[in-house]
Amino acid sequence: MFRPVRNALAMFLAMAALVTTAIWGAQDKAGAPASPPAAPTPVEYAGSQACQLCHEDLFNAFKKNPHQLVETGNRYGWATRACEACHGPGAKHADSASAADIRQPGKLKPADADKICLTCHLNEPTHVGRINSSHARNQVSCTACHSIHKNGPNGLVARRQADINKLCAGCHADVWASFQRPYKHRLPEGAMSCVDCHNPHGSFLPRSIQTVSANEPGCFKCHGDKRGPFTYEHPPVRLEGCTACHQPHGSANLRMLTRPEVRFVCLECHSNMPSTTPAATLGTVPPAIHDLRSPRFQNCNLCHQKIHGSYVSRDFLK
Amino acid sequence: MRYLLALILIVPALAQQPEQPAKPADQAAAAPAQTEQKTESPAPAPAEDWLTGSVDFGYRWVTDAGNFQSYRSVVNLGQGPKLTGLDFTILDPDKRFFDRLDARAYGWGGDPYSTAHVDARKLGVYDFSFDYRNIAYFNDLPSYSNPLAPAGFDEQAFDTHRRNTSLGLDLFQGKLIVPYLAFDRNSGYGHGIDTWVQDSNDEFAVPTLLRDSTNNYRGGIRIECQCLHVTLEVGGTTFKDDDQASFSGTNYGDNTTPLLGQTLVLTSLQQAYGIRGTSIYTKALATSSPFSWLNLYGQFLFSEPRTTVHYTDSATGNFALLSELLFYSGEQNIGTGAANQPHTSGNFGFELRPFRRLRIIESWMTDRYHDAASPLAAEQILLTPKTLGPDLITAANYTQAVNYNQQQTDVLFDVTSKLTLRYGYRYVWGDATVLASQFSQSGPLASGQLSRNVGLAGLTFRASQKLSVNLDYEGASSDRIYFRTSLNDYYKLRARARYQVAASLILQANFQVLNNQNPNAAIQYNFGSRDNSLAVYWTPAGGKHISVMAEYDRTSLSSSIDYLGLFYSPAVSLPGYAGLTPKFTAGGSLFISSGTRPSSYYQPLMRLSLPLHKRVSWNTEWKYYGYGEQFYLYEGFRAHVFMTGLRVTR
Repeated sequence: MFRPVRNALAMFLAMAALVTTAIWGAQDKAGAPASPPAAPTPVEYAGSQACQLCHEDLFNAFKKNPHQLVETGNRYGWATRACEACHGPGAKHADSASAADIRQPGKLKPADADKICLTCHLNEPTHVGRINSSHARNQVSCTACHSIHKNGPNGLVARRQADINKLCAGCHADVWASFQRPYKHRLPEGAMSCVDCHNPHGSFLPRSIQTVSANEPGCFKCHGDKRGPFTYEHPPVRLEGCTACHQPHGSANLRMLTRPEVRFVCLECHSNMPSTTPAATLGTVPPAIHDLRSPRFQNCNLCHQKIHGSYVSRDFLK
Repeated sequence: MRYLLALILIVPALAQQPEQPAKPADQAAAAPAQTEQKTESPAPAPAEDWLTGSVDFGYRWVTDAGNFQSYRSVVNLGQGPKLTGLDFTILDPDKRFFDRLDARAYGWGGDPYSTAHVDARKLGVYDFSFDYRNIAYFNDLPSYSNPLAPAGFDEQAFDTHRRNTSLGLDLFQGKLIVPYLAFDRNSGYGHGIDTWVQDSNDEFAVPTLLRDSTNNYRGGIRIECQCLHVTLEVGGTTFKDDDQASFSGTNYGDNTTPLLGQTLVLTSLQQAYGIRGTSIYTKALATSSPFSWLNLYGQFLFSEPRTTVHYTDSATGNFALLSELLFYSGEQNIGTGAANQPHTSGNFGFELRPFRRLRIIESWMTDRYHDAASPLAAEQILLTPKTLGPDLITAANYTQAVNYNQQQTDVLFDVTSKLTLRYGYRYVWGDATVLASQFSQSGPLASGQLSRNVGLAGLTFRASQKLSVNLDYEGASSDRIYFRTSLNDYYKLRARARYQVAASLILQANFQVLNNQNPNAAIQYNFGSRDNSLAVYWTPAGGKHISVMAEYDRTSLSSSIDYLGLFYSPAVSLPGYAGLTPKFTAGGSLFISSGTRPSSYYQPLMRLSLPLHKRVSWNTEWKYYGYGEQFYLYEGFRAHVFMTGLRVTR
């Protein structure tokens, strides 16, 4: 009974510790601009106007880019020196015009390139699950998806569904192949994109699944009728999620099921012989009235149609 | 939504402004820049139009053969005039209401997937987004029903639409405190054929009206300091589900065999659901980097959805109650109930960098559902229309609990600037107490535990800018699992390599394998899947004239498990993709599966784009969809989809 209270209290204490540590740390370096390189010295920095002389196209595109706030605002400590916030001091490069005299984040190893981006972007809501994500663990850098200078319909990153899918498929070619199967979510048609279900920055749920309503799996954003809470829950929905029975990327089977026929999906779990041992798994054997030789019983959901959960019937009949 | 479409088309016209002469101050400021541009800039930027974009429209013809319902279930593209794409950007030079407005809409004119999206922003003041999607869900496949029953061919068929609307408004982006508001609505509406089930003796296909909706409101603030970010959000949802079914006539259901000499029949049915749900949720998350060698994050999420149930049905016909060897002519059911599901989630973690080459990532996570449900169902049997029979009341009051916990430690070590190794350990544990099946012999509730130890290893190798290799390995041993098919003793291996042979040629290879086993004598589960893919991207001259993307992917999956003396094994699939894109595009995909349910699915396409004018091109597209099933021949279809139209750009 007191477990939720205890958990909430533990989480509150953890959050309080986090905030306290952060404030303590912030005091430690109060006044310092948030930057990976050393505090700017006027001698080393050329200023964005100097960059514009040779990189006019990038400079103009940057003016309509969300990063322009760095150039125009005082909050980040890089006003009039936005280019050098990422590329480092540019005075030497401005004099020599040599590529060797300027930092090129695109050519750094991912962890170092990310460090530059995360100087400003680490403390953002989208990054709260960052270190849980396989992208971060597998050294996929921010610039693999984001084009920092770009301006246009896509801005810093692909925005159209088709463009997002193309970007993701660049690495996840095998996943994109799944969407060529007959039964799939409508990504190839451009009605959805990968980020409708996945948060590429990371999530506390496995496979970087998006969340909705704070902590519900993102599937329920579109499939709200499957969310419940039902008065009779089907345990796998809560315990293992939709992928217990469905292949959301695409399937050769109807309704994106994991198995070619409904009965196989069901019977794989509903085959436990009666047992009371603690090691037993959940799921009991159906009663003998189910004659699996008859088509009437081969598609279990003909009767158990509310299989995601029912408000009325314990057997998910209505 | 036709008004929405009209609005999208009208906005550019309303926003149209006569070109204004540059203000003297602007001219003065621009003058030196222009001088410098002439002397220094290698790539001067052209003047930008206030409106840019494109519109695609045309007419589509569909010729089909085979099972049209299957075509609609899988492809569903229709015939007629279509607005296939509209995409424009408005830049307001005066920045009065917005700096920039991006709008796009695809698939209008009766297409099954219609989308619209608008982004408007004024830098540092607001950022607004609107998204609308209307996705048709049509599904009518006999193999998913009971094709042998008189009225069973279309059972579990649906013709519905799901609509999603999202609105979001962020204020003062880039400032210390960023308030935001958002609204989402998800709704479904349409018709279908469900079954009305009578005490396991017979089930009757009946037409249903499906309608549900979920509204989600949320708002919060983001506090963004240099070393700390905090987001505090509260939100709420409302849900309603008002499905209905009605039938009048003679329906013998799926069971055509007389029961104890009597034929079961449904002559009338009225069924109605009235489900209402609410939820309040709270979200607090924080990230922090107090020191250059430490990043912290944590979040606490809590939601408490509640549902109330009102259900009624009334049926007449000839039915049987075998447990009492009773035949009767009607029944009435009433159901009420409530469910409450407090759901708490939290996680906390840090990334520690004690040395330049070493990173330690630690994370904890907990996710807990605690359900309380109290359903009540009353069934009144009518022996004759005026004679009451026995009534059956089912009441329950129970709680369920699902607790999931995970702890993971990863150590990443940069051996050199080109090689990073990763080792880790994950421990997953949890427990669940759920309502047991009626046939359970262990009491009204069933319990399960989860305990799994997972070893992790990985490698990232970047030999150069052109070659990268990524390896991931995960091996686990479980002491307790929830289900017979759950991951038990398994290993997962994934390898990915990418090589840029030349500026215009990239090769990529992926390999994945998963092997899961449960040697328990009562289960004997053995699952294996393997996925190999090879992709080639060739884009000479940046893909200006010709680009080729070819991909071959082979997936094999085998699963065997003991259940009641039956045996099941493999499904093998072989998809591929190839495309060619200059003025002429050819490609498509070919999918073949063999094994338990052999099927094939071809989607070749050809597209021709002829420029008629600097800003107008004539696009013509042919697609073929061919779907075949070896066991369910009647579900195959072949369709030619031909579309021609214009693309106008500005």
